[in-house]
This record gives sequence, C-alpha cells and structure tokens, in this order.
Amino acid sequence: MNDSQLILTIAAAITLGTPLIFAIVGEIITERAGILNLGVQGMMLVGAVAGFWATFNTGSLTWGVITAMAAGAAFSSIHAFTSITLRVNQIVSGLALTIFGSGLASFLGRAGSEPLVGNPSREVFTAVIEGGIADWPLLGPLVFGHDLLVYVAWAVAGGASYYLFRTRMGLSLRAVGEDPASSESVGINVAWVRYAHVMAGGALAGLGGAYYSLSLVPTWQDDPIGGAGWIAIALVILASWRPWRAIFAAYLFGAAEYIQFTLQTLGEPWSNVPSTILAMLPFVLAIAAMIVLASGKRARYLGAPAGLAIPYFREQR
Amino acid sequence: MLISEPRGLTPVWVKLFIPVLSVLAAGFVAGIFLYITGETPSTVYAHMLRSAFGSSRGISETLISATPLILTGLAAAVAFRMLVWNIGAEGQFLAGAIAGSGMAIWLGDGADPWLALPMVILAGCAGGALWASASAVPKVYLGTNEIITTLMLNFIALRLMDYLIFGSHSPWRDSGFSTFPSGRPLPEGARFPEFFNRLDIGVFIAVATAVGVWFLLNKTRWGFEVRVVGDSENAARYAGIKVPGKILGVFLLSGAFAGLAGALFVAGPAGALDPRSLDLGLGFTGIIVAALARLNLLAIIPVGILMGALNNMGPSLQSIGVPIAAVTMLQGAILIFAVAGEFLVVNRLRRVRSRSAAVQQATGEGSPG
Repeated sequence: MNDSQLILTIAAAITLGTPLIFAIVGEIITERAGILNLGVQGMMLVGAVAGFWATFNTGSLTWGVITAMAAGAAFSSIHAFTSITLRVNQIVSGLALTIFGSGLASFLGRAGSEPLVGNPSREVFTAVIEGGIADWPLLGPLVFGHDLLVYVAWAVAGGASYYLFRTRMGLSLRAVGEDPASSESVGINVAWVRYAHVMAGGALAGLGGAYYSLSLVPTWQDDPIGGAGWIAIALVILASWRPWRAIFAAYLFGAAEYIQFTLQTLGEPWSNVPSTILAMLPFVLAIAAMIVLASGKRARYLGAPAGLAIPYFREQR
Repeated sequence: MLISEPRGLTPVWVKLFIPVLSVLAAGFVAGIFLYITGETPSTVYAHMLRSAFGSSRGISETLISATPLILTGLAAAVAFRMLVWNIGAEGQFLAGAIAGSGMAIWLGDGADPWLALPMVILAGCAGGALWASASAVPKVYLGTNEIITTLMLNFIALRLMDYLIFGSHSPWRDSGFSTFPSGRPLPEGARFPEFFNRLDIGVFIAVATAVGVWFLLNKTRWGFEVRVVGDSENAARYAGIKVPGKILGVFLLSGAFAGLAGALFVAGPAGALDPRSLDLGLGFTGIIVAALARLNLLAIIPVGILMGALNNMGPSLQSIGVPIAAVTMLQGAILIFAVAGEFLVVNRLRRVRSRSAAVQQATGEGSPG
C-alpha cells in the first residue's frame, strides 16, 4: 500500500514542499510588517551556501542550520536598512538582494583553492524514525517517516500562526503592516518591529535554502534551489498571508513538481505529455490563482497588508 | 550627530556623483570577498579592465554585450517611470528571440536581407509585447499585481524555449543533430551584418531606440501624458487623460523593447535559438542598467556599455582562476548601492550638535546652534 502512486506523490510533495514552507512563512512575516522583500531567492541561496559550508567544515548539521539562518538574517538586514532606514524603493532593493545573493553564493562555492563545488555534503538530513511506526501503512510514509526539518516546518508554520494572531507582539506586527502611523501613535516602535521581522524572514529563507543543500540536493552546485525563492513569493498570495496555509500551498507545489518527473514513468497516454510543457504548469497555475484570487481589491480581502511596500516617513505623519 | 532632510532641488553633480560612487562602493565590497577568498582585488580589476577595453576585440565584444542590455534597460526604465513593475524582461526577451528566430526560419534561406531584417525586428517586438500583454491586460483591466505575473512568465518562457529545442521536433530545432539537440542556425539573409570584428549593426538599433524613446517621452504629447500618469494617477485622471490606455501602452512598449533585444541577440551574436546561449539573465541585468542610470533614458546608453563590459569580463576572469560569478556579485552590489544612493539624491545629510538643536532649528524656535 505504501508503494501506491498516490502515497508516493504525497510523501514526495511533503519533502519537496518543506523548504518552501520556511521561505513562505518568512516572507509572510516580512510582508505582515509592511515590507515586501523580493530578495527571497538571494537569501535562500546565501543560506544554502552558508549552511553547506558550515556542515562541510564542522560535520555538524546543527551548525549548518544555525549558520544558514544567521547568514539569511544578516543578508536580509541589507534590505531592512535600505527599505526601513533609507526608505528607498523596496521592489528594486529586493531584486538587488536576489542578484547579489545568487552571485555571492555561486562565487563563494567556486572561489578559493579548495572550492565547495562538486563536493557532497558531509552530513545530510535523514528520517528521524527508522522502521517501526515509519513502516506503518499510510501513516508511515505520510507522517512518521520524515526528516527533522519536515516537523520543524510544521512547528514554524503553526508557531507563526499563533504568534501572528494570538499574541500581543503579533498584533503589533500586523498593526505596523496595516497602518504604521497609527501604530507609532500608540507607542509601537515601527522601525524596530520592521527590522526584527525582515530579519526573522531572512533567517527562515536561509533555513529553506539550507534544506536544499543539506537534504534535497546534497552536493554543492551553483544554484541548488532552482526558482524556489520566486515561487515562495507567489505562494504567499495563495496562502493568503496566513502561515498555516503555507503548508498546503507549499505541498501543492511540491506535488506539482514531483508529478513532472513521474508522469513519464506511468506509460501511455501520460508519457506522451512533454515534460517541458508540464514544467510550465505550476507557473501557469500561479498566474491563474493570482488573477482569480488576488486581483484589485480582492487582495485586501484575502489578507494583503494595507501598508505593504509603502515607505513610512515618521516625520511626515 | 548626522540628520537627514529632504533636498529641495537635487544638484546635477549629485545625480552624476551617486551612480559613480555606487560602482566604486560595489567594487570595494566585491573586493572584500575577493580578498578573503585569496585573490588580490587590484590584480583582478586590472585584468577585467584590460579584457573589456584593452583591445579592439575587447571593445567590440563589450559593445556586443551592451546591445541587449541597453534595450532591456529601456524596457525596465520606461515601465518603472510609470510605476509599472515589469520584472519580466527576461521572459519578454526570450519571447522576442523565439518570435524573431521563428520569422527568420519561416522566411527561409533565399530571403532578401532588406525584407528579412525588418521582419525579424518586427516579430521580436511583437513577441515581447505579446508576452508582456499576459501581465499587462490583467493588470489594467482587473488590477492584478504585475510583479508576480511577469516573474512567473519568465519561467514559462524558459520552459517554452526548452520545449522547442529539447522537447519537440519544432522548426527551431536543428534537425541535423538528433543525439544532442540544439537550435537551428538562422539563414544568412536574416543575420545582422557584422562590421567590426563580431559586432553587428544591432548596436545602432539599440542606441537609436534609446534616443527615439527619449524623444517620444520628452517631446511628444503622448509622452507628456504618460509622464503625468507616472507622477500622479489622480492628477492625470482629473486632467482627462485615459489612464488605463496609457499604462497598457507603456507596458506593451516595455515588453516590445525586451523582445527587440531578444530578436537582435538571436539574429546577431547567438545565431540560433539555443537555451545555452540565451539564458543569460539579460532581463534582470537590464534592471541594474535602468536603476544605475536613474531611469534616465539617454544615460542608459553609457550605463548599458558599462554593464556590457562587466558581462564580457566574466569569461576572461576564468583564465586567472576567478569564478565568473564574481561579475554577478559585483553587479548585484552595484544595484544595492545604486538603490541605496537614491536616498542621498532625495535627501541631504547635515551635521548638527544635538537632536534638540536640530529640532529647534527645524521648528524655528530658540537660537540656532
């Protein structure tokens, strides 16, 4: 039963969707603070190379994860500075982060006398539970058979949801994203809240990147993540700015990615569909979802923060 | 302490100085990374400059690289000035390349260059505009955010090109090699003639387009109305300007420029629709060009040449053991400093003794200083 195509697909969707959960939740937190960060792709790549490098040198996955998150947070602080302190255009600043980050990651992976490129990771994330309940029908592959970060992703999505909607800090965060001037007038430090959450988003994106280099594609190459960072930004809308919905958005995309590779093996008539055409499908779906769900005023009803991407001038209240 | 305050009018020297400073600062930051990975930054930079400008071949290669960047830079600049966030120049470039090469292949071997070249150009512009319309039409008529849709269309265009070359037996694919698929070389009559080493006449088309767009935006009624919409949509509406039509027009024009870049590239240096020679990130580099030129349409020409030089320096770096990605890193750093530098264009910094003194001065209370 555990070998059925449906279960294999869902299990693969969970694995492939996990890094996206981190990146989507990170971007949701950032956007809830009113800052649009298009640098997700760059932050993930910096996290991927930093995590790989740390694990490569220490042999410890823990250090890999810590380094990746620290690198992602440090890298996102560039965007925090330009968009919060300097109040320049967030769209261009985010793109700059992505271009710089992809160049930096690829450069660091190839530079030096003993470059990382082509090396396998010394440690990779493997299933937490071997045998026993991990072999149970249905529940085994779907629930018990995953590596640690899959469960961490669930905790991050659930925790972020609780934080956003059930805590005082979360309320402040949402207020800052909706209306920074009013938040300031009730004593919330808008700049501080924004800095903290942009960097928290950066740390999560870095963690998402490290999941690629330490689990999904555990040999260093120039770009181990594909376009995951861009996809995460689109999936924020599908998750309608709610962290727990990020799980479904990410797994849906993970399933679409997996089906591309398996459809060829299913025989006629499925194997006739060209894989390159099938590879377009997730992006076509993202555009369709965008048009249907988030056009015009509908984006606001869906949950888009009112202050998103608008620079806040404290002196000009 | 330092305080910042808005400038009334930005002096011209500041507008010129900030981009230069951005490039120098980026060079410094990239230099730090070069240094910690064991390179000597000054040696690397000297080598880069020599390879881009030190020989006639270097100069022609620089201009070859600059040609598409001037056009994708224009694509970004005209859109960004209207607050249309078209970040899909990448996809529009590929759509233009597919359409342009398709036209060349359809016209076939015996085509007269005087017919074929204009047709390739037109097809490229139309392809880019069509690709942009998939984002532009929903934006204008439904209010769909164009950032995501233009981005997703980049991926779709890339997969479409993969399909045409790797996934099917399309007319774009070279039928001679079945084991390793590649693009079919374009017929001679549809290739832009070369005049200086490998440099072809595409560079003149790019420069002429920049000047033409500058004229269109600054000297015509349509351009004036477009600029009003860019400054304030409400003001434009009150003045009776049809805002949706203007936004649609600018969006499609932006796509057409990126498409033209694709057509010139495929019928110029690339010579065939081939994923390996076209997937170079020229659309995204165009955004760097536009930002560093501060969306000034004429400044895009020299800035495009600078970025072209940088792109062209990449491969030569490998000969001294430095990864090509050093160039992307440098370009990304340039964009970060260019966008951060906008702060200094809009604001000036002033040293004051204390915050209270600054407040007193600003509100006109008490004695200054």
